[in-house]
Amino acid sequence: MTGRLGRGPRELLRWAFLGIAVVVLVVFLLAQRQSVDVSYGRSPSSSAGVEEGSAGELSDASVPSVAEMTALVAAHPVVRLPGSTARWDEQRIREFIGNRDVRILVAPPGLDEDERERVRDVQNATVRVIGTEVTGSIYQATADDLPSWRDQFAAGDVTVPLAALIAKLTDQPTPPDRAELRWREPTDRELAVVAADLRATGLHRAPGATLTKIPADNARNAFPDGARFVALPPQRDGAPVPRYGPALTRLFPGTPIVVLYGLWIEYHGPGHDDFAELAGASFYGQFGSRLSRYDYPQGNVLATYLDRVTDVRYAGLFERPLPYRPIDPLRVALPALPWVFAVCVAVFLILSIRSLRRPAAGPGIRPGSPRPREPRRHRPRRDRIPARLAGLTALAVEMSLLTDARSDPALARGIVRLRAASEALGEGLPDRHVRTLLTEAADELDDAARTLGIPGYRPYLYLRERLS
Amino acid sequence: MSHTLPIWLVGGVLLLGAGFATTLLPWWRAREQARRTAWSTARTEIDSAAVSRDAAATRVPEAEQLLARAELIAAGRGGPAAARAAAGYARQADRLWREHA
Repeated sequence: MTGRLGRGPRELLRWAFLGIAVVVLVVFLLAQRQSVDVSYGRSPSSSAGVEEGSAGELSDASVPSVAEMTALVAAHPVVRLPGSTARWDEQRIREFIGNRDVRILVAPPGLDEDERERVRDVQNATVRVIGTEVTGSIYQATADDLPSWRDQFAAGDVTVPLAALIAKLTDQPTPPDRAELRWREPTDRELAVVAADLRATGLHRAPGATLTKIPADNARNAFPDGARFVALPPQRDGAPVPRYGPALTRLFPGTPIVVLYGLWIEYHGPGHDDFAELAGASFYGQFGSRLSRYDYPQGNVLATYLDRVTDVRYAGLFERPLPYRPIDPLRVALPALPWVFAVCVAVFLILSIRSLRRPAAGPGIRPGSPRPREPRRHRPRRDRIPARLAGLTALAVEMSLLTDARSDPALARGIVRLRAASEALGEGLPDRHVRTLLTEAADELDDAARTLGIPGYRPYLYLRERLS
Repeated sequence: MSHTLPIWLVGGVLLLGAGFATTLLPWWRAREQARRTAWSTARTEIDSAAVSRDAAATRVPEAEQLLARAELIAAGRGGPAAARAAAGYARQADRLWREHA
């Protein structure tokens, strides 16, 4: 009963602090999830992995059995399996080989793992070309600069890696790289057709191009202001290739233009000098070997290229402003959480200790200790107990002078109960218990007074007189 | 984050400890008080019965038996239930002796 006022708010505060501490702890635990996802400035380009065949890179083409291919290679120095696309400068390679016995097996792109294994099992082929991937013995020759990649992916031309590999296998000095693809200016008629399509829909698809539609999300992330796309089939006939990029840049100044020749992607337009080479080199450097083995549709390659462009943009390499990123309140608050938690624990502890020092059931009046402050409405009732004890004790003393044999036992029993009440009060037992004892003592004394025949000693009369 | 780990651990242990303490201590106190109250009642009843016995005109073996049982229980100490049982026997004995006063 002590301190009932003020207990409510303090209790509430205590549990509120406990609640905050628990919430902080839970937030801390949830924030412990670690992530290995790294991105440039939270670039929205997707980084999900892909399985073989899921991006349409496998073609319908197949290869004959190992025995058949071995027989074919034994019969002819150069075997082109149906569907194969790789080409090279025959004259140059033939001169380079001279009269050495070099047998070349050319397989189509987009073979699956089994079929590629079969091609590699043909023992008598000196050089194997799968798609545009050139391998022989334990070696693999790959393009490593933009002109070589352009030859490989725009024209299917493998002259440079083929010459390098044959040089390695036959102990000759490596011939110098020489780009095979030759450019020409597009004619006015060609340019007019392309420009009309770009003005109308932003996309020109030449017959034979495998691009069906622009990957819209990737394009929006890479070029937020819009871009125009030209998709052309691979140029495998060895003739000069029309160079649309610069011509279209003159027609559409300030617009990003992406031109696809087969799987070769060129960027023209604003920032070309800054970043076309970087995007192209990093893209073909990473994906070149996959692109050479497989037969990807242009749409998937374009989507991946646009993701790379997005990453380059988000890297902030060219001081392009990054898009606004709202601050993460969790990241900001995380360092403060332990201290918030510690403060909550401390407050909860202090309030808990205070609540323990004031137990719920009142301890009564401890001997020698100052009486705690109490609410006014309890004072009369609590004060009545010691007063009543004192009054009854005085009555018992007075009665003991006049007592006789008949009233003696009742008086003695009353005194026993009075003593018990006094002890209970001293030990801090509940008021209810003390009051019960006092009432029983009063009953006994009343009994004794009636036996004595002195109405003035009846407790209710005696106490009324004394206490008034 | 690792340097703040002790704060979380110690804080969590302190919270748990404080929770247990603030729950168990008042409960234990209340139990102790209930026990003492019950024994206070039992002792009072036994003393009261003893007074009645001394004042009785004749011996009442049944009452003596009941009081002896109550004193036996009181001598063995015990919880509130034992105290209530002792008080009950003592009260019965007291009543019997008063009837023979």
